[in-house]
Amino acid sequence: MTKKRKISLTEEELVLALRNREKIAIEALYDMYSSSLYGVISRIIIDTATAEDVLQETFVKIWHSFAGYSTEKGRLFTWMVNIARNLAIDKLRSKDFKNQNKNQELENNVTFIDEQRNTVYKPELLGIKELVGTLKPEQKLIIDLVYFKGYTHVEAADELGIPLGTIKTRLRMAILQLRKHFN
Amino acid sequence: MKVEDLQAYIESGILELYVLGDVTPDEKLQVEGMAAKHPAVKAELDEIERSMELYAEAHAVEPSENLRGRILNSLVTNLGDDNTFDELKKPKDNVVPFTAPKQNNFYKYAFAACLALLVASGALLVSLYNRLQDSNQQLAVLQTDKQHFANRVNFVEGQLGVYRDTAYKFMKLKATVHAPMGSVITVAFNPAKKKVMIDMASMNMPVNDNAHQYQLWALVGGKPVDLGVFDKHADSTDMKEMKSIALADAFAVTLEPRGGSINPTMDELMVIGKF
Repeated sequence: MTKKRKISLTEEELVLALRNREKIAIEALYDMYSSSLYGVISRIIIDTATAEDVLQETFVKIWHSFAGYSTEKGRLFTWMVNIARNLAIDKLRSKDFKNQNKNQELENNVTFIDEQRNTVYKPELLGIKELVGTLKPEQKLIIDLVYFKGYTHVEAADELGIPLGTIKTRLRMAILQLRKHFN
Repeated sequence: MKVEDLQAYIESGILELYVLGDVTPDEKLQVEGMAAKHPAVKAELDEIERSMELYAEAHAVEPSENLRGRILNSLVTNLGDDNTFDELKKPKDNVVPFTAPKQNNFYKYAFAACLALLVASGALLVSLYNRLQDSNQQLAVLQTDKQHFANRVNFVEGQLGVYRDTAYKFMKLKATVHAPMGSVITVAFNPAKKKVMIDMASMNMPVNDNAHQYQLWALVGGKPVDLGVFDKHADSTDMKEMKSIALADAFAVTLEPRGGSINPTMDELMVIGKF
């Protein structure tokens, strides 16, 4: 914990502050979620500058469409990560980006980020690596494809040549595995 | 929904897909509806969300240090002006097309119509005014006529009254040698009212010239008393009232110079009658 102290609020406090358009809410939002969101974005968009642009767009969109979020629909992060993923995929598919030819083949970059960059290790999450390691490779692949790469499970089934039912089952099993661990 | 069905729903994998953002809008609404209705679904969903959040956290990548300032600034800048981010909303087209004004003949025709109407009503006014003048003139003539006839009726009634009134005595003054044969004047005399009248209608006398007038005399105790002068016109028809007198033995008419004389000129004694 060598980094400067970051602002952290409970999710309820944060949602309330965002709703009231408080300045502190923006900082807390960024400090609490930027790295998680960037983790998703940077797995979809390899180019750092573009990924950072998308992260900025993500926060802007969260900030301006916050009225569309309600706690009844689920957790704040679930809502935000969908925004981040969609923006990243939109960027990836946009003409400009394709012309830059900076996107890489899927097969090469599922673990690319983890190898290239230092991901954040948090003490409370020690053991995750091992856990992820304990996930069967095919389980991890499916989770990463859908969660990080924005594949639909149908596309993932196509990509991997696996029946749809199997994909769903594997996804559920993988997440159950995670739940078991985090509990 | 039965417990088994609920369990089957939970195990179908739809909740995982929901959290992973891999559902259609319809499915999304369905899951949210189920979560709102069934606490078990809500709890399951929450568990999945938490683990995926932690999973994402485990794969977190710290963005570069300077990005924090950049992003926070871009948000704070827009804190007071959220609208600037509605850039997807295209600014309204403020340019008003400058089309050539349409040729509108309406006012031209309207003006012409007004002018025509003005002229027409002016002419009508003049014509009506003339007719009004005519009518007024006719009315004045009629008024005069009416007055004339009313007067005439009054007068004739008055004359008629003379004949009806038994207090009047009538006397025919017969011609003397000085007058043409058949000359006659009828005199009506009312001693009570001291009235003397000459019936001009039945008078038969030569027409007098401008220098002379007939003069009526009453003889009272042998003395002539002047009762006034009169003219003989061809169209004289009324009863002419003369000066009043209470007593008369006889009436006589002489021809005198115009205006009458103090004493009768006996040479010109035209008619005479005695009671």
